[in-house]
Amino acid sequence: MIRGNLIVTLMIAHLIASILAVEIRNLKSATIALCVQAFFLSSIFAAFAHLSNNPTLYWWSLTALVTKVVVIPWLLLVYIRKLPKAEITPFMGLTFSISIVSIILVIFYRFIHTYIEFVAPTPEAMVEPARSCLTISFMIFALGLYVLIARKDAIKVVIGLCLLENGVHLSLITLAPGLPSTTFIGIATNVVIAAWLLLYLTGKIFAIIGSTDTSILSELRR
Amino acid sequence: MTSIEVVESNLAILVFIIPTIFSLIIFAFGRFSRLLREGISFLGLLITFLISAAICQKVLSGYVLSAWNMTIYVDGLSALMEILGSLMGLVIVFYSLKYLKRHRPPEEVTPKRLSLYYGLLMLFLGTMNWTCATNNIVMLFVSLEATTLATTFLIAFYWGRRGVEAGYKYLLLVTVGVTFALFGCVLVYSASLPYLSGHEAQLFTSIGGIAEKIPSSIVLLACAFFIAGFGTKAGLMPFHAWLPDAHAEAPAPISALLSGIVIKVGVYALARTAAVFSPSYSAVVVFVAIIASASMFLGICLALVQDDLKRMLAYSSVSQIAYVIEGIGLGTYLGIYGGLFHLLNHTIIKGLLLLTAGALVYTTRTRSIQELQKIPKKMPITLFCFFIGALAIAGMPPLNGFMSKLTLFLAVAQRGLLWAAVIAILTSLLTAACFVRAAYRIFWSKPATQLATNPHSKDVPASMWLGMGILALLCIVIGIYPHLIHPILDSATQCILKILGG
Repeated sequence: MIRGNLIVTLMIAHLIASILAVEIRNLKSATIALCVQAFFLSSIFAAFAHLSNNPTLYWWSLTALVTKVVVIPWLLLVYIRKLPKAEITPFMGLTFSISIVSIILVIFYRFIHTYIEFVAPTPEAMVEPARSCLTISFMIFALGLYVLIARKDAIKVVIGLCLLENGVHLSLITLAPGLPSTTFIGIATNVVIAAWLLLYLTGKIFAIIGSTDTSILSELRR
Repeated sequence: MTSIEVVESNLAILVFIIPTIFSLIIFAFGRFSRLLREGISFLGLLITFLISAAICQKVLSGYVLSAWNMTIYVDGLSALMEILGSLMGLVIVFYSLKYLKRHRPPEEVTPKRLSLYYGLLMLFLGTMNWTCATNNIVMLFVSLEATTLATTFLIAFYWGRRGVEAGYKYLLLVTVGVTFALFGCVLVYSASLPYLSGHEAQLFTSIGGIAEKIPSSIVLLACAFFIAGFGTKAGLMPFHAWLPDAHAEAPAPISALLSGIVIKVGVYALARTAAVFSPSYSAVVVFVAIIASASMFLGICLALVQDDLKRMLAYSSVSQIAYVIEGIGLGTYLGIYGGLFHLLNHTIIKGLLLLTAGALVYTTRTRSIQELQKIPKKMPITLFCFFIGALAIAGMPPLNGFMSKLTLFLAVAQRGLLWAAVIAILTSLLTAACFVRAAYRIFWSKPATQLATNPHSKDVPASMWLGMGILALLCIVIGIYPHLIHPILDSATQCILKILGG
């Protein structure tokens, strides 16, 4: 029970760090929040590994630690050093954005946690702490999508993509804890390369148009 | 159904390892000489093509090749994709030799950039073949995402504002889309666990057998994720936003690669995942038919209003890929056969049309149909190829597009979806109108100014028209003698049906 409580605590901390990564407007601080969020994800994997006596999940934890806690934040910080430090002013103000985020999270929590049988294919996924884990993974996935839709700073978009991916990866612990570590390494490595390519292209965009505002990337819109 | 025997074979591994090794050689040494980038990529493609041909031969003899404890599984569908990929790769590399060197100023096509180009091309082929060889539902996501990562810099190759923007859009949208598909893959894997062992639950070949035992709510949710995810890669409407920009801004050979092969990888993934549930859940068939019909009709409507030739071809791809998805989604022999037939034909036809568009851009330096209309052209080979492609994609007999579309119309009607058959026929008529109009405006309308001495109005070099010529010839030959490709299509269809039936 104490271990179960530890996992729930870690998941709540993971969720709070995700919200901070979304709402902090200073990109360096938002990256640190993402790093903390990823650290909690890695800790959740380790806690599940301990709880379920599944050594493969330790490898998942280590992979998440290397790729999500170290490499991706490092890449973000390297590019933020070359680019504007503050996020391009989003379409919505802070208060309004927090309100929208709260509504999204409450809706997703209520819906997924209540109707878990629609998204959980096995009885094991319907009991705690797996149930909360799956619910929070969908909430973080939704947060990531929100960032991709509502934010126009290219760096913030990368942070949103990482949140989206972290949400899916959190669901793996409930839905596919038996996946080999090589498969998880493949999934995590893809995210690192995608983030790096997006940051590289963001750097090029900044060099060409002098801004990281994705809303002015409209030359191709017809 | 003919009996299919599974045999262990290294060919199934070599088909994706060889191009990957060659890509690494090009990345390392390609900048030093043409031989080490163009020569090596040509050699790598030739070897991959020969391996693919050997695989086809085995598959046609009734074997399925496997390796690594069934994690690698090369059947008729995989063989079809692999041979198409290496054939198009050969045509594209040959076409690129002159196109890249003369199309842009030398400072834009440095040896370093060219080695990146050929290296990524080979890497894409390696990742694509890996996607087609894997039997693991989660690794399918990994390899498919790897194809996206390998093609991003190819789209942004010129590194101008528009190219970078197109590459950024492509990478972001496809990565987000495919992440949805990962959710679908994991749901299906998890739902299979009560009936299969941990290893078997990852294999398509095992999942097909227990598809009807998976709860319908999970199936519908997973299929929605698959269609959103792999549909984004396939350019299916409304997930197609990346496709027109990427096609228009990439170098012409890469546009041909995108329409010819890259979007087909998304279709392949749908055929391996969502199609598994078609026989057990009729709602999936109707759901796919609605999305596909909307995509084919709206795609061609958008193509009709384009002035940019490459964007017009891109929107046409949005429309044509929907035919393929609709056919495969039917889950019947005729539907899958028709879908795969059109997949093969679309690869050839759209490859041809985009290469001819590239030839026009190469000689006239414009993609605008309005501007192309004003420039006099002495390009008989390009004109011939464009017309063959235009008539084939419009589904005119006796070209290949006619045969596959006819098969699809019959399959859709046979499944009782008459409304979908009507939309498909109407879209075909609109496609004919769109392409005949474009061809007339580009080649036959009288130029406003007579630039008889225009040095750019001559036809393209032999290395460029040779590939176009081969593809045009294939359009005619497959149209007149469709039985030549029947064995591989039949084998691919049987393999999908075998998985559907467990």
